[in-house]
Amino acid sequence: MLRALPKVAVVATALVIGLAGCGSSSSDAGSGSSSDGGEGGAGGGTISIISVDQSNPYWKAEVATAESEAKKLGYKTTAADHKNDPSTQNELIDTAISKKVAAIILDPAGADESVGAVKKATDAGIPVLLVNAEISEQGIAKSQIVSNNAQGATVGAQEWVKSVGDAGGEYVELLGAPTDNNATVRSDGYGQIISQFPNLVMVQQETANWDRAEGKSKMETMLSAHPDIIGVVAGNDEMALGAIQALKDAGKLEQVKVLGFDGNQDAVDAVSDGEMVATVLQPIVEGTTEAVKQADEFLKTGKTGASSEKQAIDCVLITQDNAASLDNFVLSE
Amino acid sequence: MTETSARAQPTARTRKPVNLNALLVEGRALVALVVIIAVFAVLSDNYLRPENLIIMTRHVAMNAILAIGMLLVILNGGIDLSVGSTVGLTGVIAGYLLKGYEMPFTALIAYPPVWVVIIVSLAIGSLVGLINGLLVSRLKIAPFIATLGMLYVARGIALLITDGETFTRLSGDPQLGNTGFLTVLASQPLGIPFPIWVMVVFALAFSLVLTRTAFGRWLYATGGNSRAAELSGVPVKKVQTWVYVASGFCAGAVGLLLTADLPAATPQGGSLSELNAIAAVVIGGAALSGGRGTVRGTIIGAFVIGFLVDGLVIIGVSTFWQQVIKGAVIIIAVGIDQVQQMLTARSAIKKAQVKTPLKTPEAVGAGA
Repeated sequence: MLRALPKVAVVATALVIGLAGCGSSSSDAGSGSSSDGGEGGAGGGTISIISVDQSNPYWKAEVATAESEAKKLGYKTTAADHKNDPSTQNELIDTAISKKVAAIILDPAGADESVGAVKKATDAGIPVLLVNAEISEQGIAKSQIVSNNAQGATVGAQEWVKSVGDAGGEYVELLGAPTDNNATVRSDGYGQIISQFPNLVMVQQETANWDRAEGKSKMETMLSAHPDIIGVVAGNDEMALGAIQALKDAGKLEQVKVLGFDGNQDAVDAVSDGEMVATVLQPIVEGTTEAVKQADEFLKTGKTGASSEKQAIDCVLITQDNAASLDNFVLSE
Repeated sequence: MTETSARAQPTARTRKPVNLNALLVEGRALVALVVIIAVFAVLSDNYLRPENLIIMTRHVAMNAILAIGMLLVILNGGIDLSVGSTVGLTGVIAGYLLKGYEMPFTALIAYPPVWVVIIVSLAIGSLVGLINGLLVSRLKIAPFIATLGMLYVARGIALLITDGETFTRLSGDPQLGNTGFLTVLASQPLGIPFPIWVMVVFALAFSLVLTRTAFGRWLYATGGNSRAAELSGVPVKKVQTWVYVASGFCAGAVGLLLTADLPAATPQGGSLSELNAIAAVVIGGAALSGGRGTVRGTIIGAFVIGFLVDGLVIIGVSTFWQQVIKGAVIIIAVGIDQVQQMLTARSAIKKAQVKTPLKTPEAVGAGA
């Protein structure tokens, strides 16, 4: 409380002066100034949410969750995207520092690249809580809440191996952006499981930069090179959906089993329809909710309340059995 | 550039079939294409299979259509960086109209028929181009700046419309009378995908415009020397505005084709495709300073890039090397072009020096 109160005053002043409009926010502009948070009440202040790219449903869900959770606890919010560009992230952190926000919820742009930015904000007395991805140093951020990508890739790959059956054959892989740590972690996770089955041979790996259109076009070309593949493992759902469309156009979806990752609604629908074997739901809603709660806790008590800085939340396998109970990244029941 | 436009103009007007320089420039791109095809055909048995050629040509078609619009802008001495965003915007508009849009101030949801969707999307693309054109021709904003601004504005509007989501309900509903978007735009008349047909039609139409109409001659003239063209009565501002409209229209067409191809309207559709379009135009022998370039060359340029990129994927070259090789090919292609330009310019000077004292027609022909 002692730490938080002066900040509330400063933030309130800043808002009055009109610094609240967040230039790079691609969600509703001015959400910082227009939201209905309890001004000067308990909690209070602004939480800056810095995400990756809200044009992707996954990160859109991340931001939406953080915004609603923060408002529930009486904070105002601003949201912005760094598009995985460390220098943009740096600028957004600078903006947040100069606006003297109460806390920053950050989905970092790279494990090594983000250390400096997080340190800068922490040195300025602003707690930073990381969601979705981690940074390579501990003791700077207040908490790092990540989804367990390695575990997710493992359960996804196990399900996919089950579906391609004992016959075996050739398969291809669509990789995420090469500079993204998650792309490597997931690919390694798939590899560890699938390599235990010598009758499954990976004949090609291509980067499709997490993108659906690129996934489709790369898949079409790979199908030309390897017409007899029996499966595709993709680093995320968007690429998997692109691949599925390419396979549909080529009339080969029957013979090729596709695995996705993330739990996008489109992908979940594809799983329900039997077009995709499985996807892996990242607990992004759960993780982000937890991050905002811990931010609130930290602002009030000086402690996050979590037992350790790094917290990994397990991913959930989505198959035809449970696809129906999933709605926009939230699993009911 | 004065000398190139001076050469281009009489060719168009008198329909003299031989333009040695143009042939050389296009020939170079064509040689590159033949080399690329030959190399990949040796490295992969699948490269020359008809199905693969059709897939690669479909990939080429999207870029080629954008590049044709870009060519017009570049002939004018401008550049259009906003086409990628316009592709995203028009695709999203189509998706938005097909899924049914809520009419303002009422509780009604409108489901316009597909032809309306297509016309509205193309009109929006052209409108984006018109704004670019007016900014450049009337407000005298540098094309690079005006279209760079539009790159962000159009992408932002696409994100606002979708709120970041992807529209996937594009097939329509027979009861609502809005079916047909996918069945037409993603169809394969005579076994050839629809985008390839569109590319052929656009290529023919625009090369007719460039070689057979007053607009085409004006365009080459303004690109060569805008001031001289203006003094000789060319409506310079009008030409400058219309090239951007044409570019926006082409981007609109690609937006529709891309959306039907996926089939999904994503707000980030077409990102960075402006750069591929520019690359196709310059590989095809156009000068960024304006006044020189052909539709034929541009189409070949688009094939060079598309067949190269897909070929690298087919033989399984690593993603990092793919980018290095693609960039190197662009630089080499344009580098050779520059050397060729210097040589032509030098021989033109020599010709002029020979021509003045002798005044014989033989001397002119000999140097070429």
